[in-house]
Amino acid sequence: MNFRFSTLSIVFFLGIIYFLYAGLDKDPTLIPSPLIGKTAPNFKSIDLITGESITNIELLGKFYILNVWASWCYGCSIEHNYLMNMYKNNEIDIFGLNYKDEKDSAINWLKERGNPYKKIIVDTDGNIAIDYGVYGAPETFVIDEDGIIIYKHVGPIDQNFYNQIILPLMKK
Amino acid sequence: MITELGNILLSFSAALSLCLFSFIFLKRYINIDNCYNFSKNISLIILIFLLSSFLVLSYAFLTDNFSLRYVAANSNLNLENIYKFSAVWGAHEGSILLWVLVLAFWCFSIAFFSKNIPKKVIIDMLAIMGILILFFLLFILLTSNPFDRIFPIPLNGNDLNPLLQDPGLIIHPPMLYFGYVGTSVPFAFALAILINGDIEPEWLSWIRKWVIASWMFLTIGISLGSWWAYHELGWGGWWFWDPVENASFMPWLAVTALLHTLIVSEKRGIFISWTILLSILTFSLSLLGTFLVRSGILVSVHAFANDPERGLYILVFLTIVIGLSLLLYFIKSSKLVTYSNYDITSKEFILLINNLFLTVTTFAILLGTLYPLISSTLNLGKISVGAPYFNFIFSALTLPIVFLMSPAIFSVWGKTNYNYLIKKLGLFIIFSLIITYFFLHFYVGVENFIVFLAIVIAIFTILSSLYKFTQTRILSANLISHIGIGILIIGITISNYYSSQHEVIMKKGTKITIQDFQIEFNDVKNKFSKNYTSKVGIFDLYYNKNYLVSFFPEKRTYNTQKNIMTEAAIYSTLSKDIYVALGEKINDNSWVVRIYYKPFIQFLWLGPILMILGGLFGIFGNLNFYQKKLK
Repeated sequence: MNFRFSTLSIVFFLGIIYFLYAGLDKDPTLIPSPLIGKTAPNFKSIDLITGESITNIELLGKFYILNVWASWCYGCSIEHNYLMNMYKNNEIDIFGLNYKDEKDSAINWLKERGNPYKKIIVDTDGNIAIDYGVYGAPETFVIDEDGIIIYKHVGPIDQNFYNQIILPLMKK
Repeated sequence: MITELGNILLSFSAALSLCLFSFIFLKRYINIDNCYNFSKNISLIILIFLLSSFLVLSYAFLTDNFSLRYVAANSNLNLENIYKFSAVWGAHEGSILLWVLVLAFWCFSIAFFSKNIPKKVIIDMLAIMGILILFFLLFILLTSNPFDRIFPIPLNGNDLNPLLQDPGLIIHPPMLYFGYVGTSVPFAFALAILINGDIEPEWLSWIRKWVIASWMFLTIGISLGSWWAYHELGWGGWWFWDPVENASFMPWLAVTALLHTLIVSEKRGIFISWTILLSILTFSLSLLGTFLVRSGILVSVHAFANDPERGLYILVFLTIVIGLSLLLYFIKSSKLVTYSNYDITSKEFILLINNLFLTVTTFAILLGTLYPLISSTLNLGKISVGAPYFNFIFSALTLPIVFLMSPAIFSVWGKTNYNYLIKKLGLFIIFSLIITYFFLHFYVGVENFIVFLAIVIAIFTILSSLYKFTQTRILSANLISHIGIGILIIGITISNYYSSQHEVIMKKGTKITIQDFQIEFNDVKNKFSKNYTSKVGIFDLYYNKNYLVSFFPEKRTYNTQKNIMTEAAIYSTLSKDIYVALGEKINDNSWVVRIYYKPFIQFLWLGPILMILGGLFGIFGNLNFYQKKLK
């Protein structure tokens, strides 16, 4: 057998093995966020339902998830059932960030599907979302009692998200 | 009790497989006949032991023995019995047990169906199978034991993943495993040849049947998987270029290449070195597939847990086994190189091109599958390689292969008469052009160059294969499989380019028109079953205002895991499917409804059925109409 060919094949083979090995301890679904481990950005806005003003100071001291949603977002309607489940079972406080939405359609959307949110922060022009580094809706941030973002999930969440991500984080 | 029994059976099998391996050295010192008989009987005992352990686990599932962690995690009192049984291979631990059981089955088959093969080759092959079995058993015992206990014992189990509660998925994994693991047979053969240093054409003819068997099972497994995805996922898709799908498709391509190069090696005594290397590569791809599926290092629709420890174990094994095999190959294979003269019109040359294209396709898919991993390791950012890349690569590389099928059938070894080939095939190409033109122009209605090209090639293949059949009167494995491929290509092309989808909000009592069909949305009712509740949509389908059938697509919520599953309702005819899936509820009166019009999608299942039939002919002999006439 041609020596050059064999060397090349072995190098190719070892290269693949290296990449497989390097991939082992990475979670492929994770999209890195520079905000993890940092304090959640400040905001000042109003609540969608009551119209009262709301700031991030009021959320301090609670362990909660911040769910970015909009009535135009299809993925949000998929995850909505799970949010409603969490709400009904009183599993965790859920706050909503209503992202680039119109007030009426957002309220109607919630009327049809139920409202799992304790409070909903209105973000009509998406400025708060920019501070939070939101790629798109739906996204979910897990924020602890000290107001630190400890996890971020991109895309619809489901029961597994609660069981495998939130529960272990809460126990810590 | 069950735990002990299961563990004892697994441990004994592990010890026996080590014995089996030891004969690779012992055969020099003891009488070869004794050695052969020992190996043969040991392979039988391993099969019996592993089958028993599998039955023990099945028994635990059927009797709701939640003291086993694995049963508790994947079964439920309310689960139907058939799904309790299929839950045995519904998750990681059981899958690996099934895997090693299938490996033992192939090992046993080599031992007992190998009349003309020298004993020393069989002993070596069994020894190699033995070491593979040993690895997977150690993997089970050390990292993924399905017989592990759980305490306190839960009153009820966590239920089987609802996605897996479907008839198609009961047999999909076992079929795939038979195919995947079947590639270990040519692998063991290749190593045995390298170790022994000699080879005879009839051995190649023997090994080819095993390769065909593995190819056939992979074909069944993959097509069942896509059939399931089409019926169950509710998006009307059937192939997603998902890493796990690619993991099964790469071995399929490699096995297909192997099938063809084996023919050349057997008939002409050439390409033997390549055949051996390809056998090793094919099995490597199977192992790589196992690794990708079980380690969860790539994002996949097949939601498997990310488990670095298990992944590491497989990776280490993969490195050792494949690394050693490659080394052995590079040291020993120079003995096997043979030379021969062949013309560019010869069958050898066409099959060489076939192998070249199949190998390049395999590596292109491998690259696309691993690219996200490579780019994130090199810190080039998180990238995913999507369907456009794969579709492009696939059509650019596959159409030439399919086009070459007809010349391959009509060419002969050594040198083909050029004029004969041109005359025969030219005529078929003209026929195919005419048929395709009329078919696309009058039946489908739209024209597009790629579609035209693909259909011409498909029809060309079908026509020339049929013609060859009328000439020889032998319905042979290759003809029927090639016709199957032609039909598959038609199905893929037409359904890809001319499907239409409609995602609409429908009010009760309204109709929607798609092509010549009208679909009326009547109502949504609740249905309660043992382990799920479901919303059932009631739709009526009309064709030119005449009532055809009623549809009942469902949206199920499974009680235990609260998962929501879509059950699409499909009206199928040979030339088109109407596919209805229930989406989200908007309010009491209106729902989001997804309706798909899918022409020629049935060809996607018809093609593989013919290919599987071809595989059966390849193993058990061709249907010979000529001989019957003589009698």
